[in-house]
Amino acid sequence: MDKDRKKFRVLLDLFVTFFKIGAFTIGGGLAMIPVIEKEIVDKKGYIGKEEIIDAFAVSQSLPGVIAINSAIYVGYRIAGFLGAVVTTLGVVLPSFIIILAIAVLFKTVSGIAWVDKLLTGAKAGIAGVIFVSVVNLSKKAIKDVFGIVIAAAAFVLAAIFDVSVIIIIPAGAILGYLYHKVREMKKHDTD
Amino acid sequence: MILISLFLEFFKIGLVGFGGGYAIITLLQKELISLGWITAEEFANIAAISQMTPGPIAVNAATYIGYRIGGFWGSAMATLGVSMPSFILVILVAHFIFKFKESRFVDYSMKGIRPVTVALIASAAIFFAYESFVDLALPMYINPGAFAIFVLSVLASALFKVDTILIILLSGVLGLIIL
Repeated sequence: MDKDRKKFRVLLDLFVTFFKIGAFTIGGGLAMIPVIEKEIVDKKGYIGKEEIIDAFAVSQSLPGVIAINSAIYVGYRIAGFLGAVVTTLGVVLPSFIIILAIAVLFKTVSGIAWVDKLLTGAKAGIAGVIFVSVVNLSKKAIKDVFGIVIAAAAFVLAAIFDVSVIIIIPAGAILGYLYHKVREMKKHDTD
Repeated sequence: MILISLFLEFFKIGLVGFGGGYAIITLLQKELISLGWITAEEFANIAAISQMTPGPIAVNAATYIGYRIGGFWGSAMATLGVSMPSFILVILVAHFIFKFKESRFVDYSMKGIRPVTVALIASAAIFFAYESFVDLALPMYINPGAFAIFVLSVLASALFKVDTILIILLSGVLGLIIL
């Protein structure tokens, strides 16, 4: 009985957290990262910081909406299938409610000056918290010279040459596997 | 019947829509206008609404178009459709990763995936920041108010550990006052 109650609490917690994430994700899936970091990792300790990176790696490598993919990954990681159901519902519901209200009540919201100012301010603020998150996550993800080299290469390929994520992430996986496999074999040789 | 076609059409969009955001906008535009479900003008309207509301554009479009075509249940079916492929694929992949987490294959691959993913996030973050205080129509002009909010947000988060959602709310309010 106690176990059921605990599980229910976790599910409720995940729903509320991802509802907040859905409501504050302005300007795309990237905006989720700092909110997940604060709510799921720092406050609740449900997962480690490096797992946010795993969630994003998987989300970007698969088809579908990044925000939904990440919600499913994190929900499933923390509380299995039901966890994924509640995080998906949570992240989708705010948009669903807001857009439904707009579709029912108005034809359009564009051109309202104060909404524009509010969003420009919020986006600049989100850019700031994303910046801090990226620095925090880099410390967790990049641990050796190999990491620095492939991260730098990936950055140049993505930012300057506009190479797709679908190429960069699998390439990272292959290089990571080969590098560590070779190191392991060398270690065996010297033993 | 219309509920089933809404579900299937958005299922298809969820299945082939890679890379989120702008890639999905282009796909939605092609599919939905060629089906005759909405006009180009309505689509522009949905894109504008999505820019001004939180949440992923694919979900916003599914909700809006679903409602226009099939009322409340139409919007529910379209949203369910767009999320369903993610649900199946992400759970399959996540299941595999968690099950073989201890294996060398997954462990070594993850050691390569994490650094490049952080680099990708950093690259996207720079573009996000740039867009948030530089008007793309005037690339040389930095909006000083928006830039100030960015700097305050970095300080509040890094030095004073202020709650992230509170920072986003305050940034919006500050935007109303100074922009």
